[in-house]
Amino acid sequence: MVVREVCKGVYSIGVFDWDRQVFDELLPLPDGTTYNSFLIEGSEKTVLIDTVDPEFEEELITNIARSGVSKIDYIIINHAEQDHSGSIPVFLELFPNAKIITSEKGKELLKSMLQVPDFKISTINDRDTLSLGDKTLEFIQIPWSHWPDSMMTYIREDKMLISMDLFGSHYATSELFIEDVHTHYVNARRYFAEIMMPFRYPTAQNVQTVRELAPEIIAPSHGPIYKGKEAIDEIIGAYTDWCSDRVSNKVIIPYISMHGSTKKMVSYVTDALLAHGITVKPYNLGKADTGRLAADLIDAATIIIATPTVLFGPHPKAANLTFIANILKPKAKFISIIGSFGWGGTAVETLKAMFPNNTAEIIEPVYIKGLPDEEAYGMLDRLVDEIVKKHNELFKK
Amino acid sequence: MKCTLCGHVYEQEKGDKGVPAGTAWDDVPSDWVCPICGARKSSFISV
Repeated sequence: MVVREVCKGVYSIGVFDWDRQVFDELLPLPDGTTYNSFLIEGSEKTVLIDTVDPEFEEELITNIARSGVSKIDYIIINHAEQDHSGSIPVFLELFPNAKIITSEKGKELLKSMLQVPDFKISTINDRDTLSLGDKTLEFIQIPWSHWPDSMMTYIREDKMLISMDLFGSHYATSELFIEDVHTHYVNARRYFAEIMMPFRYPTAQNVQTVRELAPEIIAPSHGPIYKGKEAIDEIIGAYTDWCSDRVSNKVIIPYISMHGSTKKMVSYVTDALLAHGITVKPYNLGKADTGRLAADLIDAATIIIATPTVLFGPHPKAANLTFIANILKPKAKFISIIGSFGWGGTAVETLKAMFPNNTAEIIEPVYIKGLPDEEAYGMLDRLVDEIVKKHNELFKK
Repeated sequence: MKCTLCGHVYEQEKGDKGVPAGTAWDDVPSDWVCPICGARKSSFISV
């Protein structure tokens, strides 16, 4: 609950959610998160950029009170997602003369999701500007990183880009500016996988827009702030790579096993791939942190889903993972399915039908009855050989 | 042609992800999906 200066006249007044454990009831948050909100005091006008998750609306209001401002002219909403917009209703009660500024699409979403009255919202178009006196704000629309109404706010005089969720990270740290670059990279990468990867095609274009803008400070809406050329070049470079079609010599094996037959197959394939010098990571879906799995999906060339048959289909956890992998749209080039069945079912066909978004080549699945025997290991050898061959073609020096 | 799920517009003059500029909609491969939301061609309508 503090007010901290980012640069002259610009204050970080958001909140820490140290204890949050899950986002969207889907993404594990091992280190909590932050909801960043910025106060900009121009010589003539004062604006607030984004509010916070409504669970913390009181803290935001307290922070605003502690900042000493008595009037807020505008509240700019970079996107309508409720962890940033959700405190608008109480904010409007306390600052009845404030006007909301957002995009056309943002206005539509604010009205439908928060029932904000129409007359309270003014809309802008891409590259419109707003003068605060000695500061000029420029609005840059970046649709589909990750919402349709996504936009950024650029303070021209300070070359500070308030980038919405773009370049964000879900971890609560007292660093206002990034200091621990290694920890940050891991968290930023994970965040990309969970939030931006499904939109890597438009995001690549939006990152190019940021590169051309050449800001000196980038303040996302979660996590610490990028300050200085090195930090900014690094994240732009990372995003460019993650959004590209480049994959690594890596195989990810999400698996579930009930009595060990499928697990034996996974161990065999893992060891064989390791022996060929390929990076391999098996993920036990009974225990895995799906966020870490998603981060590994950013650049894995191959995904092997391993599951037994349960009630004539794939194990529900394998089906869930396949569903998630389909909507995250990883760029893997090859997919296969392995596993063991007791008496029969359609696990392979069911899973195959579950990733229509994926354009990966399917390598012949290996699905066997019971415990793997010599013949089964022979089939797994062929699968491994096929993967090695495909990887050698992709990664030959 | 406009995606009814997310609003993305396919423009023949520009082409799109994996589709060269100038490709008519009917010539876009049947397994092509909207680069934004993954919707199939059948979810697109003419505008």
